[in-house]
Amino acid sequence: MTDPRLAELVEQAFDYRGYVTLRRTDGSALVGFVYDRGPSHVEVFDEAATTRIRVALADIAGIEFSGEDAARKSQDIWERRKGTLEPRDTPASGGWEQTRPVLLVTALDRELRIVARALGASAREGGVRARVAGGDFVGACVGIGGGARSAVERHEPRAVVSFGFAGGLDARLRPGDLVLSTGVQDEGGQRITAAQPLRATAAAALRGLGFFEGEIVCTTAVAATPDAKRTLAKDGALAVDMETEPVARAAGEAGLPWLALRAIVDAADSTLPPFAREAGNRGHLTHFVPAALKYAASGPRAVADLIRLARDARRAGAALEEALRRVAPALAAWGGSA
Amino acid sequence: MGIPVAQMAAVTKYVLKQRLIGRERYPLVLMLEPLFRCNLACTGCGKIQYPVSLLKKNLSVEDCLRASDECGAPVVSIAGGEPLLHPQITDIAHGLVSRGRFVYLCTNALLLERKLDSFQPSKYLSFSVHMDGPRAEHDLSVCREGVYDEAVKAIRAALARGFRVTTNTTLFEGVDPERMRRFFDDMMELGVEGMMVSPGYSYEKAPDQEHFLRRERSHRLFARMLGEPKRTWRFNQSPLFLQFLMGKRDFECTPWGNPTYNIFGWQRPCYLLQDGYAKTFRELMEDTDWSRYGRKSGNPRCQDCMVHCGFEPTAVRAAFDSPRAMGATFAAMVTGRL
Repeated sequence: MTDPRLAELVEQAFDYRGYVTLRRTDGSALVGFVYDRGPSHVEVFDEAATTRIRVALADIAGIEFSGEDAARKSQDIWERRKGTLEPRDTPASGGWEQTRPVLLVTALDRELRIVARALGASAREGGVRARVAGGDFVGACVGIGGGARSAVERHEPRAVVSFGFAGGLDARLRPGDLVLSTGVQDEGGQRITAAQPLRATAAAALRGLGFFEGEIVCTTAVAATPDAKRTLAKDGALAVDMETEPVARAAGEAGLPWLALRAIVDAADSTLPPFAREAGNRGHLTHFVPAALKYAASGPRAVADLIRLARDARRAGAALEEALRRVAPALAAWGGSA
Repeated sequence: MGIPVAQMAAVTKYVLKQRLIGRERYPLVLMLEPLFRCNLACTGCGKIQYPVSLLKKNLSVEDCLRASDECGAPVVSIAGGEPLLHPQITDIAHGLVSRGRFVYLCTNALLLERKLDSFQPSKYLSFSVHMDGPRAEHDLSVCREGVYDEAVKAIRAALARGFRVTTNTTLFEGVDPERMRRFFDDMMELGVEGMMVSPGYSYEKAPDQEHFLRRERSHRLFARMLGEPKRTWRFNQSPLFLQFLMGKRDFECTPWGNPTYNIFGWQRPCYLLQDGYAKTFRELMEDTDWSRYGRKSGNPRCQDCMVHCGFEPTAVRAAFDSPRAMGATFAAMVTGRL
């Protein structure tokens, strides 16, 4: 049996067009927007409007109407300006667009530095900010496998790009080749399709540079051997990485368009050295250099492997840098902004 | 009439199928609200009064397409908020069109001209431009100078590129029937495919609470406005619905006819009232107590409502209920008389 006073408060909170503070019986508080209610619970969007939370009525001690009532505000504004109109030159977007950036998500610091070079900016504290052709860009290095969602929430972009290195799955792809992804599938075969208009914009900008369009497979472990890559290639995917699926998912959850622009480091028939198979934190030199030196000490073949890998990574880096130089102005001018 | 033959055929096939399988309640138009933010703050709108973090939220393309698949309605009206502020609106429209849905993308047209490049003309896609009457009335309704002129310019640009364009007009207390008749002439001269008209709903959260039409006033207004309709006028609506607005027919609301999906879920019970949300379309249809809605229910919020989202589905169903009603529909379509 719900306390009638609480039931009344819940109805008021449901009708309220602002945030409320739910005081829980355990002493904690939750600030959010009550968008629905049932006989024994309320449904709440958290303050950032990213998470839905169900709270049992039995856990609620009280409700405060702590946020501004948007309906009241709208009525007050209308009353104040009754009869007068907004001027003709009010921005067509009503203030909702223009300042939102394109977010470039990388996993490795090295990839972030490529972003910085291509955009003529410098990388600071895991991030890059730049303005190119009138458009704002943010680069964020989030590490391997995660962090994309918090980057999207933090930067509130208008589009998201998964940017960096990849492994080749298709035998045609050689180190330094570019892949513009049509979509990504995870290891379970779940697919997310890239935003078509955004991809078309990028493809037009890359024309003349030479690139492949196709699907990327996103894995949770490094695909280091030709056998592992052959298995992943069976559905026709062109390349493999460990970042694009979380980026695509985070963009999709935020209702944002995304694309992936990757460059091949290791071809389908090549084997990565053991130290490169470990997904180190953002590829810090402090992690890679000692491991690479240790590997080089194992013999001349290892040294040759290292030289080849360094050369291929340089090729891939140069391709990415040139690609982003060409794509950035097109993304800045892209009309699909919010 | 302004309804394309292909759309009429699709809706007819759909309705006949529903009747053959004995489905009592079925949707005709999905009202898809992929966002709530808008670049205008219209006097009679109760849709956009939310905290900023909720206004920034977008439904993802996948959410929108899934909602359409779940619902199955042959027509999708993309409303909002201003849909052209959605960063993936072209993907949403494209996805719906490729599913064979007839899409009405409702817009105030302020951003239409600059976004036209990202859309492809299609018999399945129509821009439904918000036009609340002649220049002075429209600008007053949307609370901004110059919006009528911008909309006319955008309509011309869209038509020149081969897009389908319709208008949607919401009417409030104080409108002059003679001026509206001249407005219909103007829209036809402009070359729009068809017009939609409806009295506004008295949203509780709308800033202006004084100018919503009551039922008898609506009948009188529409009878004067649509009486002796000109043969040049084309309405993208059921003639029986227009006759209902004129007071020539009495219909009960079909609240499930135009189900609404937005960032909160499936809105109960209809596009206009917010009594809660269902997680799935099936839950909406099966778990909503429909007897609480419509004029006969005695629900005070339904007494003056004559909005097309509730009564157009009734009019369409009525046309299939008897040869006489079907005949009346065809006669009105052929002769243009109401």
